[in-house]
Amino acid sequence: MRASLRPSDPAASPAVERVNAELFTLTYGAIVRQLLTDYEEIDEVNKQLDTMGYNIGARLVDDFLAKANITKCTDFRETADVIAKVGFKMFLNVTATVANWSSDNMECSLILDDNPLVDFVELPETCQGLSYCNILCGVLRGALEMVSMRTEVKFVKDMLRGDDAFEIRLKLLEHVPEEYPYKNDE
Amino acid sequence: MSGATWEVAESCVDSLNMELVATYYKRLHPTKPELAARRIEAIGYQVGLQLAERYTRDRPRFSDHLESIKFICKDFWAEVFKKQVDNLKTNHKGVFVLQDNRFRWLTRISVDALPLAGAQNESAVAANAVRASQAAGQYLYFPCGLIRGALTNLGVPCGVSAEVTTLPACAFVVRIKV
Amino acid sequence: MIVCVAVVGHNNNPLYLQSFVDDDNTLKFHYIVHCSLDVIEEKVSNSKRAGVNLNETFLGLLYPTEDYKVFGYMSNTKIKFVLVTTDHDLRDADVRNFFRRLHGAYVDAASNPFHVPGKRITSAAFAERVSNVVKTFGFGAAA
Repeated sequence: MRASLRPSDPAASPAVERVNAELFTLTYGAIVRQLLTDYEEIDEVNKQLDTMGYNIGARLVDDFLAKANITKCTDFRETADVIAKVGFKMFLNVTATVANWSSDNMECSLILDDNPLVDFVELPETCQGLSYCNILCGVLRGALEMVSMRTEVKFVKDMLRGDDAFEIRLKLLEHVPEEYPYKNDE
Repeated sequence: MSGATWEVAESCVDSLNMELVATYYKRLHPTKPELAARRIEAIGYQVGLQLAERYTRDRPRFSDHLESIKFICKDFWAEVFKKQVDNLKTNHKGVFVLQDNRFRWLTRISVDALPLAGAQNESAVAANAVRASQAAGQYLYFPCGLIRGALTNLGVPCGVSAEVTTLPACAFVVRIKV
Repeated sequence: MIVCVAVVGHNNNPLYLQSFVDDDNTLKFHYIVHCSLDVIEEKVSNSKRAGVNLNETFLGLLYPTEDYKVFGYMSNTKIKFVLVTTDHDLRDADVRNFFRRLHGAYVDAASNPFHVPGKRITSAAFAERVSNVVKTFGFGAAA
């Protein structure tokens, strides 16, 4: 909602053009449905959504760092905070909470109470194994890999399956040294 | 909260469009471009059906095909592509041409997707322009499906195709089925 | 009291029908809704022929039976909405508001990516919204 964006909010900077979420929400839904008819295995659909997200995240990260005026975070804790407070806000206009840190600071959760991808969505019985919002995991994985963090990202709670929130588990596998060439996902 | 008031960054829509094309043309059906096109069009069709339902709520019913097509050119275009169609032509035999001189989605796909830059001599420029138009064509199946879905739901059964002239201009041709 | 609400597709295919009385006589309501479709058809084409072109979505009172009053509404996408009630003194604004909210609920149900166009609406969220619209009928509640 426009009213909720304050001028001091980096996500509200004029550099970010905003559009009504309807088109985005419906397009994503139609893609998921088409993929479900293209693949027999629901796991394959989850994987495909993750791959799509990975490519999107890898492409969006530079734009994000520039627009949000952020220099690369070195610390994983700081990174998680930026994703939750600035990243989600800038792109999806929702704020996530960072919680459930592991004692070694290598794992945490991003918790969302709502998200525009699931507006109108009701999962049919036949889609129980579907991680409907899996594209978000891919986006995070792709973006983080571009800033040298190799991660494992998955949903552990999903409101479409009756949980009280969306919880994305984010696990840092390794900090890749600065001299990449990256290996592309595919 | 309903989707009617929620806003997202426009780059979310752009990213999804680009990735949709990459998914079907590069990963799912790399050797069958017609099949990739059909799948993408079908996705657009579903969204078009739904958008017509949403955008015409609280609106009196259209009395004929022309009124529905004008709605697509004005209100629908403004909602989805942030401007109106620049020119609407018809042969009065069920064919309508919707010309957009600056189709928003073609202005927003990234440079690596559209090989425009870097050409030195004239023939290379021409070859590049052809390649760019072809690449752009892949991005037009989704909007073709959107338009067909919306019109179908408004009682105008039709086929929709797109022609790229000079980027980012393009024309959508609506052929009403009788 | 509202006794039945129905949503019917553009090919007169039933999308949703729910009765709200205990001595459930669904068959009877199916029949009433079925008859009302002809009246809707007639109203729409008559207005066209008469050149008045009443394109308003709200079609007003379709017909009174001995026990019921039946109202209709048709969207731009030719989805028909039918309301069957036992009330005699209904405010026009309440009925219009009812249909506006019912239509809104339908639009969201049709936006579910897993809803198949033309098929019956099985969504629990839709059923709940409809029952809420029915419960708050006439209380001037906003959508």
